[in-house]
Amino acid sequence: MREIYICTDTITGLCSALHDAWLENRNREAGIGLRGRIQQQLFCQYKTVVETAEKTRRLQRMLKRYLGYNAYWDIYYALLSDDQEKGTEVFRVMQEARNIPDSRKIMDHLGNSDVAKVFAMSRSVSNEAHMYEEFIRFRELKNGILFSEITPKSQVLSCIGDHFADRFPLENWVIYDKTHEVFLIHRKQERWGLVWGETLDPDAVSEVSEGETDYAALWKEFFEAVSIKERENPKCQQNHLPLRFRGNMTEFSPRL
Amino acid sequence: MHDTIQKEMTLNEKLNILSDAAKYDVSCSSSGVDRKGDGTGMGNCSKAGICHSFSADGRCISLLKILFTNECIYDCKYCINRSSNDVRRASFTPDEICTLTMEFYRRNYIEGLFLSSGILKSPNYTMELIYAALYRLRHVCNFQGYIHVKAIPGADPALIRMTGYLADRMSVNVELPTAEGLKLLAPHKSRKNILTPMRLVQNQMTENKQEIALYRNAPRFVPAGQSTQMIIGATPESDYQILNVAEALYKKFDLKRVFYSAFVPVNKDRALPAPIDNKPPLLREHRLYQADWLLRYYHFEAHELLDEKNPNFNVLLDPKCCWALKHLDIFPVEVNRADHRVLLRVPGIGYKSAGRIVKARKLGNLSFEDLRKMGVVLKRALYFITCSGKTMYPIRIDEDYITRNLLNTKERLPEGADGMTFHQLSLVDDVNFSGVNRL
Ligand code: SF4
Repeated sequence: MREIYICTDTITGLCSALHDAWLENRNREAGIGLRGRIQQQLFCQYKTVVETAEKTRRLQRMLKRYLGYNAYWDIYYALLSDDQEKGTEVFRVMQEARNIPDSRKIMDHLGNSDVAKVFAMSRSVSNEAHMYEEFIRFRELKNGILFSEITPKSQVLSCIGDHFADRFPLENWVIYDKTHEVFLIHRKQERWGLVWGETLDPDAVSEVSEGETDYAALWKEFFEAVSIKERENPKCQQNHLPLRFRGNMTEFSPRL
Repeated sequence: MHDTIQKEMTLNEKLNILSDAAKYDVSCSSSGVDRKGDGTGMGNCSKAGICHSFSADGRCISLLKILFTNECIYDCKYCINRSSNDVRRASFTPDEICTLTMEFYRRNYIEGLFLSSGILKSPNYTMELIYAALYRLRHVCNFQGYIHVKAIPGADPALIRMTGYLADRMSVNVELPTAEGLKLLAPHKSRKNILTPMRLVQNQMTENKQEIALYRNAPRFVPAGQSTQMIIGATPESDYQILNVAEALYKKFDLKRVFYSAFVPVNKDRALPAPIDNKPPLLREHRLYQADWLLRYYHFEAHELLDEKNPNFNVLLDPKCCWALKHLDIFPVEVNRADHRVLLRVPGIGYKSAGRIVKARKLGNLSFEDLRKMGVVLKRALYFITCSGKTMYPIRIDEDYITRNLLNTKERLPEGADGMTFHQLSLVDDVNFSGVNRL
């Protein structure tokens, strides 16, 4: 009977599930399902995974060692996607890596449909993460903290932490992922971290600093002045900057 | 007089005037240099460049693109800020430029600063102000993001050199493709005057490379290289002439990018061409960018794409398709074996997918379906390739036949390029192609 490992939709959850599946079923078919998002099938046996940091570490170490750093990152990104088959696909890629002469070349093997799928997921997550590096807008709150809200499809926060930490090392900043209800928090001159299970205080984040309104207005001024009227092209603008991002962007929000 | 007016002007108004005045400069990219922050200031740079927004004309906004001043003493005929125009004038102070850059940057609005300028009083005076602004930004504000700055032709070489050590990219605009065009439309500028600082920047970059080889921590001189821009359609040069100029600039001056700017008629002047329905030549600009891309990433040379007899790009087909149709004797090529350089010449295969093909085929024969997944545009490529000896469908290697089919696939032009819609293109499909066949 095909075994399906049930885990939470987090890196720890998925890595623990992959860890168990690899340990017990590496020579057979097995599936990985996300808690709350599985459709029960006949002839399958469901197992709830015990999720631990140790399993996660062990699996990640193994991936890095046998598949190499680049493939590890492709897999890591794929596991952040909003595709519910992601765990199962990654498992199959790990199995496929044993069938080729050099397992470190696994992500080049795009002729294999599982590899192609994981590759596509990884690409779509990294594209989305990249778009947030571009389109995130911070506003300065009364207490000087830079705050931003986003509504991503995949769990991009851990992909963009390094980027912003390197860019704003001396600032306190927070990015809130409304879709997955996670905070990315950076304190001045410290490392960034993710925080789950906190609730957002809408009042606290709507009180902005004194300069904030002026700079937001200046930015809008610039944004409008820089467009060339004779070349106006809303379709092209929309291709590059889809509407779903605009709700959280200063230049598209009404003037204060 | 100017001074009193300026004091009353708010930062808001200045920004409005000086960004509006800078918008016709098309190079806004923040690419070419990777630099991590050092932890003591603000900012970093990413090699591929980062766009932060897209304006209503669909162009990327990456940098705070402003003029230092539009109080210009020159009178270039194509320019909105020429001295004979009656427009509102303003100048920033170095301080104001720093505040705007820093506050925009920390909100993640921008990737850095693009500072251009009209000529205030004299080239030297202007260059000094620019230097002062950059010095302050780098050393007082500790800004480590991207800075693109103009070298002002005619300014003291020492000033240009000092400024270059603070900037990531420098550019001098050639403005118009030929010296004659320049004489006609920019009476205060000359080709020589423009190429001198360009050469200076190039030489300094070479010298700097040696310095860095010796001392790893030597300061960097314009690490993201040098670029330039040309206005397209204000003077009568052909595409062939323009592309040759671009090729020469890449080869002789080691430029990173040449930008093409479709001429927008902002002034009425007898020396300027009458605008055709008030539309800038966007399709032409688009074709030039496609060809430019072929020069830089696909190992093409200008004379392969155009020549004296066919000096202009085809309206209906992109330059790579046109080239392929003239060289049907080398096609179809076998995807599982063809040289990387040959793959790059196949319409529908981009340089990313060519790279993926070369890697993936080591692990097994590729099929058309695999190619599709790698991002190959099969509806174009299928006339030029085989997989394991077979074409995708039974096809004829025949110029008329392939041309007709390629035209049917409808190229994805940037919407509204030159007002030519897909509908109009498909009307043309029904007429006879004798003209197109002789591409
Ligand atoms: S130098 Fe010529 S192009 Fe530059 S701002 Fe002055 S008039 Fe315009």
